[in-house]
Amino acid sequence: MSFGILARRPETGSLVGLLLVFAFFSVMGGAVFIGAPGWSSWLNIAAEVGIIALPVGLLMIAGELDISVGSIIPASSVTAAVITGYFGLPVFLGIACGLGVGLIVGYVNGLLVTRTTIPSLIITIGTMFVLMGLTLGLAVLIAGSTSVFLVPDPTTKLLLGTFIGGMFNVSIFWWVGFSLVLFFFLHVSPIGNWVFALGGDRVSARNAGIPTAGLTIALYMLSGFAAAFVGILQLMTYQNAQVAAGQPFIFNSIMCVVIGGVMLNGGAGSVVGIVIGTATFSIVNQGIFFSGLDPNVGSVIIGVLLLTAVLSNDGFRALALKYSTKKR
Amino acid sequence: MSPFLRRPEAAAIISLFAILAFYAALGGVNLGTLFGAASWLNFAANLGIVAIPVGILMIGGHIDISIGAMIPAGSMTIAILSGYYELPIWVGILGTLSLAAVVGLVNGILTARTTVPSLIITLSTLVVMQGVVLAGANLLTGGSSVALTSPDWAKSVFGSLIGGSHQVVIFWWMGFAAILAFLLHKTRVGNWVFAMGGDLVSARNAGVPTTRLTIVLFMLSAMSAAFVGMCGAIQFNSAQVSGGMGYIFNAIVSVVVGGVVLTGGFGSVLGIFVGTITFAIVSQGIYFTDIDRNWSSLIIGVTLLLAVAMNESFRKFALRSGPKPRASAQAIAVKA
Repeated sequence: MSFGILARRPETGSLVGLLLVFAFFSVMGGAVFIGAPGWSSWLNIAAEVGIIALPVGLLMIAGELDISVGSIIPASSVTAAVITGYFGLPVFLGIACGLGVGLIVGYVNGLLVTRTTIPSLIITIGTMFVLMGLTLGLAVLIAGSTSVFLVPDPTTKLLLGTFIGGMFNVSIFWWVGFSLVLFFFLHVSPIGNWVFALGGDRVSARNAGIPTAGLTIALYMLSGFAAAFVGILQLMTYQNAQVAAGQPFIFNSIMCVVIGGVMLNGGAGSVVGIVIGTATFSIVNQGIFFSGLDPNVGSVIIGVLLLTAVLSNDGFRALALKYSTKKR
Repeated sequence: MSPFLRRPEAAAIISLFAILAFYAALGGVNLGTLFGAASWLNFAANLGIVAIPVGILMIGGHIDISIGAMIPAGSMTIAILSGYYELPIWVGILGTLSLAAVVGLVNGILTARTTVPSLIITLSTLVVMQGVVLAGANLLTGGSSVALTSPDWAKSVFGSLIGGSHQVVIFWWMGFAAILAFLLHKTRVGNWVFAMGGDLVSARNAGVPTTRLTIVLFMLSAMSAAFVGMCGAIQFNSAQVSGGMGYIFNAIVSVVVGGVVLTGGFGSVLGIFVGTITFAIVSQGIYFTDIDRNWSSLIIGVTLLLAVAMNESFRKFALRSGPKPRASAQAIAVKA
């Protein structure tokens, strides 16, 4: 690969950031951070936020946002906990209903975004508040509490909420699985090109015959499903659903995506970039506790990474345009 | 339809009356008690001082979520300067507003000079400032709770309770709204904001100094947020470092319920003002009703979605039947 091809790739800058951050915390955190405790602590965080960051990133490539994920996580876990833990119905029914909540909210988001001219930021803030109120109100009404318990059976616990070796949450494998599936979806299958076309120019994409409305709805259902899935993973891990959990995931997932080089200005980005961004975010987020620094310095580092990504974005675009105009 | 429905604040006023009717009919609220209460008015004033400049930014086509960090930043800065270092209170006030001006400047320059959306840029400065404020406070003062004793004049101007219940910031909010309403709707600069939000490139080609205007608007929103934090610190005699994040979505919801279109070019200060009151009555007024307060988020979400739906249909109507010859910046911008 020539320098041009390498520098033109949007994830090159993100990878440099990842390596720098890892090197920094390896020096600061020492053997504990490089060993299993360090890896498991940031991988566990990365898996949960990463499963959501992937579809949120796809939406951002298509030029849309999804704020409602912050309410879907608790809505899904509370639904499953009420059905299986409170009413004692089979666990697969609880999981199916929890995931169903995510799919339905995603469908409503997609429908409202495609049928109106209201920006997706506003629509998903609206559905976030609606779902937050419904979760809180119904949980108190039905279960009489804002926190619902569920003790999963061994198989469910093994698949969705166990710590391998006492450290590595099984959610890491789910994150890897999601990444592979979405990599295939975005970069190999023909539909992936539609997503880029949608973010690049919606009207042209529709004129070219791309089913833009259907695709947008599908992407929202995907992010709703992913958020609901994380809600289920949290429920099976901690055996307890809290109505207020989930809000930090809104901005955290967007940050992972931005550090990964997707800027919401449409049509550019990659799954590899989003995964790198998620890993970088999580290493800073957890590494700071191994480093002996004031934990708030972690926010500063993440902020600087974000600003660097923002600033290098235009630089990379200019470079990409410069190299792509030259014929090899 | 009447000319009223063509105005940007129409949906906000209808929403406010709908909420009051809903609370009175189903919640059994005593409207006299509700209007006499300070809780929602204090809430509205603090939120409103931030929501108005955020709304004007949105009319100009941008968004600022870094306000979520600037409120605690303002609170902490004045407490460190005038509380911990015991500098005169006016030095603390100037220092707080200067810090906010710098953050606004950075937001503005990055937004004007790059192609990255302002949401992403202000998300970055939000995180940076969160870290800088808390880490800075720990570093300088050895803790995150800093006390502040203000002289009487500062206390009465920025942080007193009138009649023992109403915060003095209510007057700041009203004064601020009046000044910004004049600037936005009666001056040339105000027209520039609508023009910029309607079509940035055309506005620049028509000679609007879009870069400078963007920077000034971001500085205004950062300084307003820091001002709210500062007043809180003066009132409660200590820095309040938590609670800024809630303002981000609350301000956006107030602005949008107030009839501002996020894509820019349409809205009014009166609308944002009424939208903020609506939001405050929904979230704080629920304590005066028989309705379980757990449902307040649901009511907020439904109000938001209904208000934007109303705004959209009214705007379409305004576009179809608006007075043709008097093509104001608003009418031009409506095409977006």
